[in-house]
Amino acid sequence: MMAMVISGVTRACARMHFRARALTVQVLGLQSLRGFRTQSPSLAFAKDIFLGKINKAEAFPYPEISNEELEEIGQLVAPVEKFFMEDVDSRKIDLEATIPPKTMSGLKELGLFGIQIPEEYGGLGLSNTMYARLGEITSMDGSIAVTLAAHQAIGLKGILIAGNDEQKSRYLPKLASGEHIAAFCLTEPGSGSDAASIQSRATLSEDKKYFVLNGSKIWISNGGFADIFTVFARTEVVDTDGKKMDKITAFIVERAFGGVTSGKPEDKLGIRGSNTSEVHFENTRVPVENVIGEVGGGFKVAMNILNSGRFSMGSASAGMIKRLIEMTAEYAGTRKQFGKKLGEFGLIQEKFATMAQQAFVMESMAYLTAGMMDRPGMPDCSVEAAMVKVFSSEGAWMCVSEALQILGGLGYMKDYPYERYLRDSRILLIFEGTNEILRMYIALTGIQYAGKILAGKIKEMKKGNLSVFMEIFREKLQNSLSKKIDLGLSGPDGVVHPSLTDSAKKLEENVFYFGKTVDGLLYRFGKSIIDEQLVLKRIADVLIHIYAMTAVLSRASRSITIGLRDHDHEVLLANTFCAQAYFQNNYRLVQLEKNSPENHDASIKKIAQQILERRTYVCSHPLDRTF
Amino acid sequence: MNATRFLFHTRSLRLPLLCVAGLRNKSLSSGPIPLHQFLSSDHCTRRCLCSKPVFRRDPSQSEESQNKPDKTLISYDNLFERAALDSKNKATFSHVLDVFKNKDIRRRGHVEFIYAALKKMPEFGVEQDLAIYNKLLDVFPKEVFIPRNFIQRMFNHYPRQQECGVQILEQMENYGVLPNVETKVLLIQIFGKKSHPIRKYQRLMYWFPRFKHVNPYPVPRELPQDPVDLARFSLHRIAADLNAKVTVYQMPSSDHNEDGNLVCQPYIVGIQSPDQREVLAKHRPNRPVFVEGPFPLWLKRTCVYYYVLRADPLPPEEKVEEPVDPERNFFYPLELELDYDRDLGDDEDFDVDEVEEGPVYAMCMTDSGDRDTLAKWISGLQETNPILGCTPTVFRLDSGPSEVQSCTVSDHPEIEDVLQGQKMAQ
Repeated sequence: MMAMVISGVTRACARMHFRARALTVQVLGLQSLRGFRTQSPSLAFAKDIFLGKINKAEAFPYPEISNEELEEIGQLVAPVEKFFMEDVDSRKIDLEATIPPKTMSGLKELGLFGIQIPEEYGGLGLSNTMYARLGEITSMDGSIAVTLAAHQAIGLKGILIAGNDEQKSRYLPKLASGEHIAAFCLTEPGSGSDAASIQSRATLSEDKKYFVLNGSKIWISNGGFADIFTVFARTEVVDTDGKKMDKITAFIVERAFGGVTSGKPEDKLGIRGSNTSEVHFENTRVPVENVIGEVGGGFKVAMNILNSGRFSMGSASAGMIKRLIEMTAEYAGTRKQFGKKLGEFGLIQEKFATMAQQAFVMESMAYLTAGMMDRPGMPDCSVEAAMVKVFSSEGAWMCVSEALQILGGLGYMKDYPYERYLRDSRILLIFEGTNEILRMYIALTGIQYAGKILAGKIKEMKKGNLSVFMEIFREKLQNSLSKKIDLGLSGPDGVVHPSLTDSAKKLEENVFYFGKTVDGLLYRFGKSIIDEQLVLKRIADVLIHIYAMTAVLSRASRSITIGLRDHDHEVLLANTFCAQAYFQNNYRLVQLEKNSPENHDASIKKIAQQILERRTYVCSHPLDRTF
Repeated sequence: MNATRFLFHTRSLRLPLLCVAGLRNKSLSSGPIPLHQFLSSDHCTRRCLCSKPVFRRDPSQSEESQNKPDKTLISYDNLFERAALDSKNKATFSHVLDVFKNKDIRRRGHVEFIYAALKKMPEFGVEQDLAIYNKLLDVFPKEVFIPRNFIQRMFNHYPRQQECGVQILEQMENYGVLPNVETKVLLIQIFGKKSHPIRKYQRLMYWFPRFKHVNPYPVPRELPQDPVDLARFSLHRIAADLNAKVTVYQMPSSDHNEDGNLVCQPYIVGIQSPDQREVLAKHRPNRPVFVEGPFPLWLKRTCVYYYVLRADPLPPEEKVEEPVDPERNFFYPLELELDYDRDLGDDEDFDVDEVEEGPVYAMCMTDSGDRDTLAKWISGLQETNPILGCTPTVFRLDSGPSEVQSCTVSDHPEIEDVLQGQKMAQ
């Protein structure tokens, strides 16, 4: 049995090597090929979960990189790590709210401003996996990480994924070297996620050679010193039947075009060293060649940029937590209270276990997703990336808080870096799409996919077709009698190592009942499920945890089979996490059932409505009297 | 009132021992129900006992029989009227009470005096003054009416005095005055712990605090005196939108013109919310808007009048449903492409037939509801709602309350007058 599994895995590994080799060839072409996909994206892994199935091939075996790549990344990581340890003074950056020029030039020399820019344009041309690996290191300083991310994860991403060759060769080399810094200008005073309230406007000049851009953008990372802006503005577009319409268009705007002014840097809670400011455009003349994609196609560009920039947050958060574990473990191992070391207390141990588990899960999810994205054929992993972002940002916030708790009062002091980590990590839940918005995205994208596939069955049921009902009844009866759910993760054709069988079974059960629940919810709510945000939130949470379970199972299975160091610890973490996630998922699924007593949504909504009606806390003061 | 009536009956019928005891237990055991039970059980006992007509006292008889003490009431009325010659206020009223209290140590005729005082309280403007009620209770001699043995306790001890005590509490109830501890102490001193007035007091204390905040939209006890402030308050109250902003288009003023005549400028206070402005901006200028009013708004005893700017609802054939722009949300779809809807079993809305009304764009208050004044309001609104400049405005005004008084034109209650907005704006 064991031998069989191992042979299966070696086969899989061989396949992976082949893929990885294909990957290195692909890396260059990959970015330029990445197209637009907004309508019904072909989801990589998440889609099958909504139907109660697991697409084993997508998540198993855990993606690997080739030895050459590993060596390459090792050579890259070492100097970057050395630079961050020796030359970056995070405390000073935080206090002075600026990154010193010397540090900036050091970052540029290391090539960190062009990590994903193809080598032909002077960048490092790294894959998503390697980008994620570097993200682990750059997250040592939140301000630098955000500056770099604003530059290349969103700032120049538009040129990278949707720009034409001319634009690329014109802008990318200078951006890759860090001579020019990019910024992404979408948010406006009246518009966060709502494209309809974008006020900036670009009007085509009479000679049709350039656009005149007017408008204000707020909270622009790198806005104070960026030279190249990806700007979204309304333009007038004549549609096929000759009607004039306002549509969003993406532009590459150089500061040198004139009329670009930046406001003073905003004073922020965390990531204080990163520059955030307003950017105003006043009669800025943008040549028509600088339109990214086509005129009126800016919406899709924006969506693709936003969707592609998120996956690295998982590895960055994991990197941060791993460092926090080192620092706090040092403290817990030395500080004594009541004659015992801090680490001997159960409540402190619990915190370390939580942190390790969270870091492990984030890491697993992040590199699984990055690996999926690096596969040939450009799978759309935006839902997976969003799941990584939601899970890791919340996990990071919780872990930093736990670390602070271990340190007690010491963690609260400005003399130590912990409070800075806390402040810096708070932004993770907010930027690149708030977690609330991403949960909607995660749930709705899957629901849309499942809803279309199940449409026929649901419509038949609504018509009262007896045979469909009989079918469902028979299925239910069979399930309740046999009660065996086998999605093929374990067993003879399994992909999960036998020591993780229990966890795999739990995952399978979760997935199976999740599929059933989605089915039921679609029947109950139909397209109006879009208004049931509390339901959608739970769907997203279940899905995130299912994906997390898959990721840890896949990673731990690989670790055992290839005999990685300390893989027993991984198995321990994976099994613990799966057991916990399983119970949480079960609870959420029960809440999603109709008329379940665990579901308090109606009351929750009512409380909020009564408060919002009066815009104040409603209750009388406990000391008030009526007589 | 019911409670008092009940007292009448028990007193006049001399209910059998058993029955009274039963009622007492009931009244002790629970708050709100006993009053009901009192009455129903009272009715049936009365029916069985009506063979004793001597004690029976129906409402008509009670009025007659009240005539006798009325003579004395008149004499006490005089006492108050004499005091009223100075001025009618709290001081004179309490002075009369003091005079009566100190006149006679036995307080002879205090029941009649109290009835007279209760009647006069509104006149002196002290009907909502708790201190005065307590003072009035203080007129009763203490400890005399407390039952001393079980027989007295069983029967209605000093019924006339108890009833009088209940009357005081009844009046407090009617004017919404909540008794305090002093009232309770006084009642116990006068009537003892299980007397009818104490029961009444307990019922009051049970219900009053519970009903104190029963109105979710309370009107303050003292309304603002300044008409502009009153209008501001009233408009906020009707608008029921926390975003709505009040604008004073014109402050009240009076001035003498060249001919020396007094010219009063009416105040115009209007309210409009951003939502209303948004809806108005989408109004089609080819359809008229209407200024209608005055409509009454009651604030306790005060009535104010307001005017609305509204339009007729769009006829169904002119309505256009705006489709959701698929390129609106950068992050998630705003509409699902599914062609099945919510299941009937999960449709928890009630089946309500809704009658559609036209939108209300703004409201205003003014002290003169003539067309010129309201036209000023509309031109004031134009500053923030430019669409009013090209929309015909129709004034549909009922003869307002002020016009009824001056009574000039009331043959045509509806004056329809179409005014081009542009002309008005001049």
